[in-house]
Amino acid sequence: MLDLILNFVSCSRASGLRVSSSEVLDCVNQLELIDVLEEPMFKSVLRANFAKSRREQAHFDHIYHLFFHEMRSELSIPHSASLEELMEQALDSLGEELNQDASFQAVLDFMQGNPLAYLEEMRRLQSDMDGDAPSGMVNTFGPLVRRLQIMSQINSIGNAIASFMAANRQTVHWEDRKAMTIHFDERLENARRMLREDPEPYNADQNLITNYEQHMNKLGERSFFSLTKREMEEMRDVVEQLVRKLKDTAQRRFSQHSRGVLDIKKTLRLSAKYQGVPIEVVYKHKPKRKGKIVTLCDVSGSVWTAAKFMLNMLYSLQDCFLQVRSFIFVDELEEVTKIFEKHEINIAVDKALNEAGINYQASTDYGSTFRQFKREYMDILNKKTTLIIIGDGRTNYSNPEENILDEMREKCRRIIWLNPESLVFWNTGDSRMRTYQRYCNELRHCQNLNQLLDFIKTLVL
Amino acid sequence: MTHENIVNVKESLEKAGYICSKTVATVVYLAGATQKPVLVEGPAGVGKTELAKAVAKSLGRDLIRLQCYEGLDEAKALYEWEYAKQLLYTQMMKDRIDEVISGSGNLTEAVDRIANEEDAFFSERFIQPRPLLQAISSPEPVVLLIDEVDKSDPEFEAFLLEILSDFQVTIPELGTRKAIKIPFVFLTSNNYRDMSDALKRRCIHLYIDYPDVNLEMQIVKLKVPGIKDRLAEQLINTIHEIRSLDLKKKPCTSETLDWAQSLIALQVNQLTPEIVTDTLNLICKYRSDSDLVTENIETIAKNAGLECSI
Repeated sequence: MLDLILNFVSCSRASGLRVSSSEVLDCVNQLELIDVLEEPMFKSVLRANFAKSRREQAHFDHIYHLFFHEMRSELSIPHSASLEELMEQALDSLGEELNQDASFQAVLDFMQGNPLAYLEEMRRLQSDMDGDAPSGMVNTFGPLVRRLQIMSQINSIGNAIASFMAANRQTVHWEDRKAMTIHFDERLENARRMLREDPEPYNADQNLITNYEQHMNKLGERSFFSLTKREMEEMRDVVEQLVRKLKDTAQRRFSQHSRGVLDIKKTLRLSAKYQGVPIEVVYKHKPKRKGKIVTLCDVSGSVWTAAKFMLNMLYSLQDCFLQVRSFIFVDELEEVTKIFEKHEINIAVDKALNEAGINYQASTDYGSTFRQFKREYMDILNKKTTLIIIGDGRTNYSNPEENILDEMREKCRRIIWLNPESLVFWNTGDSRMRTYQRYCNELRHCQNLNQLLDFIKTLVL
Repeated sequence: MTHENIVNVKESLEKAGYICSKTVATVVYLAGATQKPVLVEGPAGVGKTELAKAVAKSLGRDLIRLQCYEGLDEAKALYEWEYAKQLLYTQMMKDRIDEVISGSGNLTEAVDRIANEEDAFFSERFIQPRPLLQAISSPEPVVLLIDEVDKSDPEFEAFLLEILSDFQVTIPELGTRKAIKIPFVFLTSNNYRDMSDALKRRCIHLYIDYPDVNLEMQIVKLKVPGIKDRLAEQLINTIHEIRSLDLKKKPCTSETLDWAQSLIALQVNQLTPEIVTDTLNLICKYRSDSDLVTENIETIAKNAGLECSI
């Protein structure tokens, strides 16, 4: 029993769940209290201990199913003991013949009912082997090639098994042969399915927000990309008005907040000056509910229009936040906070484009941007920071570095990704939205003013 | 008193007016048996807080509730010194203090003498216990509910760790206080933000989702006793259809109950699409949501098996 649990734990770890040893201890202790033969109960104990957020649960269920159901298919045929022996013999002989490659060994282990190595292989595929190649030279073709390799390994094992069967036609009973073929086919099919299926982004608590309240009918629904110059000016005025309104609402709430209670500690301390007569009265000022904002804006042509409006709004609402820091990037990162602080907002937007040392001819590279952020600015993220990323997630086939995004999520309060592209284009071509999606707390489609306004509202109020 | 086994948990929770799935019962039983806190997550209105209340009721324990919000600090969660009372006492005991220091040769001696006495002012007498200290120092075991822990600041979350793992708190002036009886702790979270790993590690995790059709039926029948079977069935099918739409806020269990109650107040025996649209404001709390439901009312009616009254 203990071995089984430990095996399961190492499998979970191999596929990326974080399980600490104290959780394993708890789990084993708790298993003693329940009837382990009743499966739903057994499963809920494991789940309560190993998957500690909604985000991880789907992933946990997947591993659980694989480990306890697909890998442990009981053989209900007579003389199964001898059968098992035979199977082992078959696989062993395969191992001797073709032992060449780690991935081959992984598939072979999988066939023998030990999915650990294969799971790890899968995870490495999904994370695009970031760890192995930090130089950033990896592109999205890499995993594709890798996938093909594993696929061919699976096929070669399939073939090898078939030829093994043919070779031993005389010595093995036909019923055994049949059972073995069925069993092996099942496993091979399993392995193929795992390879084929794209990992579902197991980030269910993250909300993909797609419906919006209607604020303005005409201008609000126009996509940012299709605005003419005049409309742009018009839009600016509208934005200004709306911002003023929002500010009022926010201010009202803050002023309500500061009407506090008597701070007895401070009053007493001050009264000591006047022989215990409380002449100066101090009120408790509750800290305003303000957060820090860090924005990362992709300023490559496609996204910039949307980013411009967002920055405009954010900076107009600056007093609602403790601090706003903003960065723009194409293939490298540049901080533009100073420009926005010094200049009036509309001028600042233009200045940011012209004066920041950004090479606009380069192609967008999220990976190198994240790396640079990690190197230079990681310390500005803390649990009070909301990180807003505006971009289409198009990496031009370079390494997406989503593990850095994961690290960033650990450090900050939440990550909100705004994507100004139409929903239909997500995950097509070089868009890595699916990869990034996993690590964001919120994903918003942000193509027109109404959607943007909706977002700003939830952020401020 | 604790629960004896999982079936027992389920029954006693039902007696306390809470119908739960097997997973919930298992986790509650384990938490009781191993004295670990439970971290309950799930969408708003599926009965996270209710669960804690029901457990308290079924165990016959008091429920101490701490509602978390941004800016919550130790003074409000753990304890506070009663400054006014201390001040009052100093005023009243001025004469006594004079007595204590009278006859002292110099200032140092006077200060020393007062120093010998001053602990009196930072003692149990002047401490005002807040929910966490109450839960720990109660001689009877209690159920402690730390509600919406995700709304609190990260600092407060760190401060909770000591209580959750060792069931003790440290008051600088008095020292460490250990729990007399270990409380049954529930933490609820709406997933407003991720909790830290340290906190998660100390808790058993429980996710409560929207109940399935059967479970919700039982809940409605328990909480709204007067409801007819046919109406309840229509009601729940409709709610499940509505939940499958892409809404801003999906109707939750407590809203189902409100709806059922108001339908009874309106003396409705049969749910029709018209009645659904008329009473929509009970289940949809955003205008865009109700618009969406009204648009799709025909499909909903068809799938939920409602009759059209033509």
